[in-house]
Amino acid sequence: MKNGAFTVFKKELMRFFTDKRLLFTSIIMPGLLIYLIYSLMGSSMGSMIDDKTSSFKTAAVNMPQSIAAVLKEEKFEIDNTSLDKKDEVTEQITNGDYALLVIFPEDFEKNISQYDPSDTQRSTPNVEIYYNSADINSAQGYAQVTAVLDGLEKQLSNVFDVNNLADPTDNIYDLATQEDTTGTFLAMILPMLLMTLMFSSCVSLAPESIAGEKERGTIAALLITPTPRSQIILGKVCALSVMALLGGLSSFLGTFLSIPTLMQSMGEEAESISTDVYGAADYLWLILLILSTILLLITAISIISAAAKSVKEASTLAAPLMIIVMMISVLSMYQSNEKQEFYWYFIPIFNTVQGMTGIFSFNAVPVNLIIAAATNLAVSAIGIFILTKLFDSERIMFSS
Amino acid sequence: MKETLQVKNVTKTFRLSAKQQKLRKLDSNILTAVDGLSFSAYEGEIFGLLGSNGAGKTTTLRMLATLLKPDSGDAVVAGSSICEEPAEVRRKIGFLTSELKLEDFFTPEYLFNFFCDLHEVPEDIKNKRREELFSRFGVDKFAQVKVANLSTGMKQKVSLVVAVAHDPEIIIFDEPTNGLDVITAKVVTDFLLELRRQGKTVIISTHIFNLIEKVCDRVGIIIDGKMIVCDSLSNLTKDKSLEDVFFDLYRERKGDEL
Repeated sequence: MKNGAFTVFKKELMRFFTDKRLLFTSIIMPGLLIYLIYSLMGSSMGSMIDDKTSSFKTAAVNMPQSIAAVLKEEKFEIDNTSLDKKDEVTEQITNGDYALLVIFPEDFEKNISQYDPSDTQRSTPNVEIYYNSADINSAQGYAQVTAVLDGLEKQLSNVFDVNNLADPTDNIYDLATQEDTTGTFLAMILPMLLMTLMFSSCVSLAPESIAGEKERGTIAALLITPTPRSQIILGKVCALSVMALLGGLSSFLGTFLSIPTLMQSMGEEAESISTDVYGAADYLWLILLILSTILLLITAISIISAAAKSVKEASTLAAPLMIIVMMISVLSMYQSNEKQEFYWYFIPIFNTVQGMTGIFSFNAVPVNLIIAAATNLAVSAIGIFILTKLFDSERIMFSS
Repeated sequence: MKETLQVKNVTKTFRLSAKQQKLRKLDSNILTAVDGLSFSAYEGEIFGLLGSNGAGKTTTLRMLATLLKPDSGDAVVAGSSICEEPAEVRRKIGFLTSELKLEDFFTPEYLFNFFCDLHEVPEDIKNKRREELFSRFGVDKFAQVKVANLSTGMKQKVSLVVAVAHDPEIIIFDEPTNGLDVITAKVVTDFLLELRRQGKTVIISTHIFNLIEKVCDRVGIIIDGKMIVCDSLSNLTKDKSLEDVFFDLYRERKGDEL
């Protein structure tokens, strides 16, 4: 095939796929890094929460036997002490020798058993717990003692229950299906994440290919061939889009595969989130949106790169665009529902974020998605026209 | 002899930034790089544009290569106007300059094929020309080595064969021997003479008198964007050396600056 656009397209891809270093840094590394970092983050956060191996060295004053027995089961080592040693023990808590000092009022058990809520004159017994919030062991011990005592208090004055479950893992009251839970969670997280990944993938490729060629003086060699500027640009933009798509896909896979670990660390049950809930149609819509958005981003960054004198300048100039894209994406995290009115979908970038939110929460309107993709393609076409003008402009291409 | 290139009264101005204007001590922010330049070149000859740095040589050649558009005037390159049919002109010329670089990542063979494809050279002719040119310039020995790993001389050879990959009628060469070592410079000048033998028109720009005297048939001397003299080398150097001719003219024009 002798089409100029195709020749340029082939060359750009050839450059990309035969350069092992470039291939590694722009496709394999992003996904791998994200996966490793997220997984590591997830498991270390998880282990911090699950860490029950260490015991809590606790000094106690007037602690009732019944409470001491419960705490001992929760790995508390309890040393009975007296009130006059309070200063000494608090000092030891600051040093980390003791985790906690728990001081019960005298006759605590007797007092609470005689507790009468209608007697307003009576003072409520107060349990004092000294702890050190900067020390993880002490802070965790404090949380557990408080939980045990709160439980005891509830037991004593249990007037009514709310959603009392015999088995907390089998929540019969929450009517959300797995689909709903997944939808709500992913619709909040993924649009922003996907936009970020797509943008960073595009910005790592386009400046190098356009501003880089200008900087190295290799672009003039292309411009003195009879191949029209528009074809050179089309070839470049398409090739860059393919590469950006692969880079974005890698980052996306890395994120997606590490979601279970990350979720567990946040205390969520991984089973309640499952990507199985999305069907082929959802994925097709998503691919359509992503493809059109990548083309749009590549074109936009290419325009910036063509106007820039060097790769460095191009990356700097692309920063405001990144801020806009990030802002639109982050704002959508905090909205309750995506826009349903069709006219919103004529706004580039915003339409993609809205469309993705719709797809993930199963509320997408096909017409809107088509408008979004068509708008992105139309804006990209205008962008390619602008790029052609820039490539034609001697001031831009030969600014030196 | 067939006239293959006609430059007709081309003018090119650049707008300067305030800083550049101050640096050049100019009253206006418009710099006239090329000022009503006209000349012709013929089949089978090497035409040299001689001038100091900033005289307008490179701008002229870039206009002929359609990288810049003249403000006024026109040039007809192998029958096509640079203003009306730039794509046609690009098809007929080979343009070479030290600023024009080849991508480091590719091999000479790949680049040769790539530029042939952009010039729409048919497959069989492409392969034949590649074999011919590669063996004549010894590029075949490193045809599969990435440009990044080649020596300056090798790179220059690759640039030469790539520039003429599509067998252009006119070859435009900006400062052909600048910055080259003696061996590579010899390769270049031999190449120019070879092109002349093939009946091509070669246009070069330079400030090196020696190069003009060695290879050029006709010379145009440019000072401040204007063509001062345009004649055959033998006519110009009848009484004195080219260097003396140039400096006499230069002194006449800008005496106090010399």
